[in-house]
Amino acid sequence: MEFINPDVVDLSRFQFALTALYHFMFVPLTLGLTFMLAAMETVYVVTGRQIYKDMAQFWGKLFGINFAIGVATGITMEFEFGTNWSMYSHFFGDMFGTPLAIEGLMAFFMESTFVGLMFFGWDRLSRQAHLAVTYLVALGSNLSALWILIANAGMNMPEGAHFDPETMRMQFESFVDLVFNPDAQAKFVHTSVAGYVSAAMFVMGISAFYLLRGQHRQFAARSFRMAALFGIISTVAVITLGDVLGRLDYEKQPTKIAAIEGLWHTSNPPFEPWIVAALPDDAKQENHYEIGVPLVLTPLITHTFDQPITGMHELEDQAGPRIRSGIDAVAALRRYGVTHSGTDLAQFSAHEQDMGYGLLATRHAPGQDVTAIPADQVDDVVRATQPDILPNVFVTFWSFRLMVFLSLWFFALFAISAYLSLKRRLERSRLLLKLCMWSIPLPILATEFGWITAEAGRQPWTVFGWLPTFLSASSHGMSYMVFSLIGFVLLYSVFIAAELYLMFKFARLGPDHDSMEPHAPAAPMVSAFDMRPMAS
Amino acid sequence: MTKLLRLAGLAVVLVVSLLFAVFVGDQGPWYFAWVIGTVMIILISGAGAIMLDAQSSLSPDGEI
Repeated sequence: MEFINPDVVDLSRFQFALTALYHFMFVPLTLGLTFMLAAMETVYVVTGRQIYKDMAQFWGKLFGINFAIGVATGITMEFEFGTNWSMYSHFFGDMFGTPLAIEGLMAFFMESTFVGLMFFGWDRLSRQAHLAVTYLVALGSNLSALWILIANAGMNMPEGAHFDPETMRMQFESFVDLVFNPDAQAKFVHTSVAGYVSAAMFVMGISAFYLLRGQHRQFAARSFRMAALFGIISTVAVITLGDVLGRLDYEKQPTKIAAIEGLWHTSNPPFEPWIVAALPDDAKQENHYEIGVPLVLTPLITHTFDQPITGMHELEDQAGPRIRSGIDAVAALRRYGVTHSGTDLAQFSAHEQDMGYGLLATRHAPGQDVTAIPADQVDDVVRATQPDILPNVFVTFWSFRLMVFLSLWFFALFAISAYLSLKRRLERSRLLLKLCMWSIPLPILATEFGWITAEAGRQPWTVFGWLPTFLSASSHGMSYMVFSLIGFVLLYSVFIAAELYLMFKFARLGPDHDSMEPHAPAAPMVSAFDMRPMAS
Repeated sequence: MTKLLRLAGLAVVLVVSLLFAVFVGDQGPWYFAWVIGTVMIILISGAGAIMLDAQSSLSPDGEI
């Protein structure tokens, strides 16, 4: 076995995390804004009022800027699987490649094709046909996310595949199991609807900016109302699906849920507190300065009052026999690779479900080879491997909490905004309008924290329970990794700067600034029914 | 004839929708919830805008 350089693995992880986080700054807005455009255009088609067409076209322009730059940042990531994660691609490519290929062939092409029609088809298509195109763009962008998240769910909860000792890789066996993986379902809806929240905050914040300056008041009032209602329902949906994902992690990824909750010891139902804040210490395996709310954790995670949640110390203990069994699996697999004897295959099959834990132990084996562990040192290797089954608790714990605290803030902001908009008391609530404006980047941050929770919490695995992360990377040199990392940082920073420049520029220009109402704060309110004739 | 074709088209859409609801509702309840939920979110936000039009027509000089 080739020796693994841990620095190359760390740099590969850092590079992927960085490119994914950069890319994910653009994705949520695309997912949500397309359906907001569809909502605005639906009102335009139903009522025939020009102002809704103006809304769809103006917000569509901002969507276009985000879409163009967002696509560019996503393409590199697909290549990274091959360049930086070749062992992973070999092991799991059969499973992972299928949804990625479908995403490229179906959803991405569908989205890209109809985006062109959406932008250039206003004067060439009937109103109904253009509305259908806008819905297809929305569906295409969200279907893109669906296939990516199906692939990601396969890494978190591998279903629809089995390990083949002949090919030494996971073989794809059930498309239905892949698509209907419970983790894929919940994660897709959670992520997609988080995009709706991001888009709603974006539209609401920019509309608040116009209202504060007394510009485009009719346009801003309608955009604000639609965004506030869009956002409040979406926030409720995001929180609901977050709860579903927590329940799934409790059942399938106990190390992730224990790290999320900073739970070092098995819980004591129903009294166990939900830790609001603490400083988890990964080295000492304990929390400092805990602040908790009693009686909340058990019903929150288990949806019961009597089921315990296994703590990280107990999970380490439970992993001991699996690591020992996994060492036997890897040793039998190695022998089978040479002998192809039925006896070795039978021995491997008996321990197959623990193979990943055996691979996890290779880091502590002499020469990174578990077959070279002397019999009297197996216990030492098992003990050394046990803490490795846990993710970074500090990162997982706090990324989750920041996401949750932000989502509660969105709930409050959307609820108050929707109420004041429905009561038509927005313009006297200048503080609220300022808060809406300043909150524009927060949903993007919340989705980034969500991603960090999901992916950092999955560690130390790329394929949960089967393939450790440190065995998944390619064997690049350090210079290659550092050079490509600097390149990505520079390139993606340029993309972000371009996006921000264009967004600020066009948001400040406002909607159709030649034909909308003048920039007069005291302009008389004109009914939308009287604003313009029906569009032709 | 056009009406008949339109009716047939709508019937096909209805059957496909029902099959989709039965299959996806059973196999992938959260996918189904996403479809229904997204439609609901769009309709409610659209209704909010139309309600604002109505409010504006009743009191054209009112606050936003």
